[in-house]
Amino acid sequence: MPDYNLRLIIPEIFLFLWALFIIAFDLGTKRKNPKLIGYLTMGGIAATAVLLYLYHGGISFNNMFKSDPLALFFKVIFLGSAFMAVGSSFDIIAQKIKNHRGEFFGLVLFSTVGMMFLASAGELISLYIGLELTTIPLFILAAYYKDDRISVEAGLKYLVIGAFSSAILLYGLSLLYGLSGTTDIVMMKINLALLYLNTNGIGWALLMAIVMVLAGIGFKLALVPFHMWAPDVYQGAPTPITALLSVGSKAAGVVAFMRIFIDGLYGFADAVMFPLDWGNIVAVLAAAAMILGNISALRQKNIKRMLAYSSIAQIGYVMVGMVAVSELGVGSVGYYMFIYLFANMGAFAVATIFNDNTGSDSIASYAGLSKSSPMISAFMAIFLLSLAGIPPLAGFAAKFFVFAAGIQAGYTWLVILALLTAVVSLYYYANVIKMMYFAPDNPTIKLNTPLSANIVLIIGVAGLIIFGVYPEPILNFALDTARVFGF
Amino acid sequence: MLDLIIFYFAAVIAVGAAVMMIMQRNPVASVLYLVVSLVAQAILYVQLNALFVGALLIIIYTGAILVLFLFVIMLLNLRGEHFGGKQSRMGRASKIAITVILFAEMVAIFKQVAIPERIGTQAAAVAEDFGSVEMVASHLFKEYLYPFELTSILLLVAIVGAVVLAKRDKTEKMEDA
Repeated sequence: MPDYNLRLIIPEIFLFLWALFIIAFDLGTKRKNPKLIGYLTMGGIAATAVLLYLYHGGISFNNMFKSDPLALFFKVIFLGSAFMAVGSSFDIIAQKIKNHRGEFFGLVLFSTVGMMFLASAGELISLYIGLELTTIPLFILAAYYKDDRISVEAGLKYLVIGAFSSAILLYGLSLLYGLSGTTDIVMMKINLALLYLNTNGIGWALLMAIVMVLAGIGFKLALVPFHMWAPDVYQGAPTPITALLSVGSKAAGVVAFMRIFIDGLYGFADAVMFPLDWGNIVAVLAAAAMILGNISALRQKNIKRMLAYSSIAQIGYVMVGMVAVSELGVGSVGYYMFIYLFANMGAFAVATIFNDNTGSDSIASYAGLSKSSPMISAFMAIFLLSLAGIPPLAGFAAKFFVFAAGIQAGYTWLVILALLTAVVSLYYYANVIKMMYFAPDNPTIKLNTPLSANIVLIIGVAGLIIFGVYPEPILNFALDTARVFGF
Repeated sequence: MLDLIIFYFAAVIAVGAAVMMIMQRNPVASVLYLVVSLVAQAILYVQLNALFVGALLIIIYTGAILVLFLFVIMLLNLRGEHFGGKQSRMGRASKIAITVILFAEMVAIFKQVAIPERIGTQAAAVAEDFGSVEMVASHLFKEYLYPFELTSILLLVAIVGAVVLAKRDKTEKMEDA
């Protein structure tokens, strides 16, 4: 009989029930209290974090649910991104969404539950279902402005691409199952090695499985060449949902990548399966992502599209750490995603506030913002400079560790390319700052921020400054996650 | 021998109907060809001792999902001309190229992997009750209980999402009245 240790999934069950409660509460109060349900949602996420602290560590459901340091670390990122997304969506809820307010928050929580299940998956089927549970609520949320053509188009595009990529991923996973005879990721590694020894080569089939799984997860990560959907979806979706897509759902893709590739397909990559080393394939994709993301971002006039291309480039940097497949590599990827959470959620929160007040997303309309709203302009500058990797902000440390891991693993060409593209990225990040500080005044702008959005901004800035000056606690936690893979 | 005849019979129908399905311009005919293909595939599953999977294929896919397809097609009154005019030469060429590449990969895989004596362990005889309802149920509710329960959350999310997207907003209703 398998062991069902239900204590370990208490945080997930709580968050799921809380999502149901939010929807029911909103219906029960006749949708009259948008602020109250917003704060209740944020409270529920905070309570889940406490429960996560109380109940973690161990394995349940026959190895299918692993509550290990890796899962814990990424669950903190997911909860953080959901918290900040909910916090910055109060004005949108009050102004633009008249119906289904509870469902908006409920779906954000459902998606977060999916990410949490995904992070803990020790087996392919639960990993796949976790991934679907992450993305299906996001399809709906992307199309939440039902009267807005761009939003509906974003939802539909995301749905079609998401379903397509899931099919490819499933095909790859079924090939892995066919080759190894098991869905358990650790068993899969052992069986694939045995199969190799028995048959003296499983080259083509495994290569095809790797390529398909890589493509499937690459779509979720918006890794070049699977990125086409990202700018349109990011532009059309409600901005807090864009933020959740670019941080939470991306971190979910990163952890799925780690579970399958580092845990399941790496152990014998160098010695035995040299021609199938996925590191080189991923390194090329990372290089393409950095080049294409950064160069396309230069030409964007819309802040959400600019941030979309910037997030394509950022995932390229993350992959530099990933291909290192070492303690430092895994640790630096975790650290990078953690810092990315503060910087990107913060930048999108500012974009949300700006759009709520002016109705515009264009970078040109940020002109002279520093005169009328000095605090928000300063915050935006900090977020963008951190994304660009300027010291002493945390984005610098994050890039530094990722590049160090890349060099340590011998991917020097990739790191040099990353450094060059990082210089390019500085241009478009600085362009927004230039607009805010040095462009002529635009007298009409006066930004009002709700309390919850201020909380989000302060969390973002505090995270970037504190962890930039003092990265040790998070870095040690991130390096600790690498123990999962036995480095 | 009879097994082999049935296998080839079903396999040819399955592949042939699938090809016919994508050649049709009339969507209703397409769906009907897909039904034929799925029934033939169900026969293949039954031959593989996977009786339950075969039955599911007929009950769920042909019985429920494809009938739903038919309803949608008829409700929307879709016809062949709704699916675009002539394809560009590039578009057609790239589709054919992708199909050929995928097919070649499949052949390469099966040449390398699917020969039982090269796999060794996987050619072992299956258990007596392999593929029976009891066996599937015991796997589903014991070993794979956790992902099975997760799918229930997934279904709930889909229902909530469908209501959110499909329900008419209150403000619109007032305008209508």
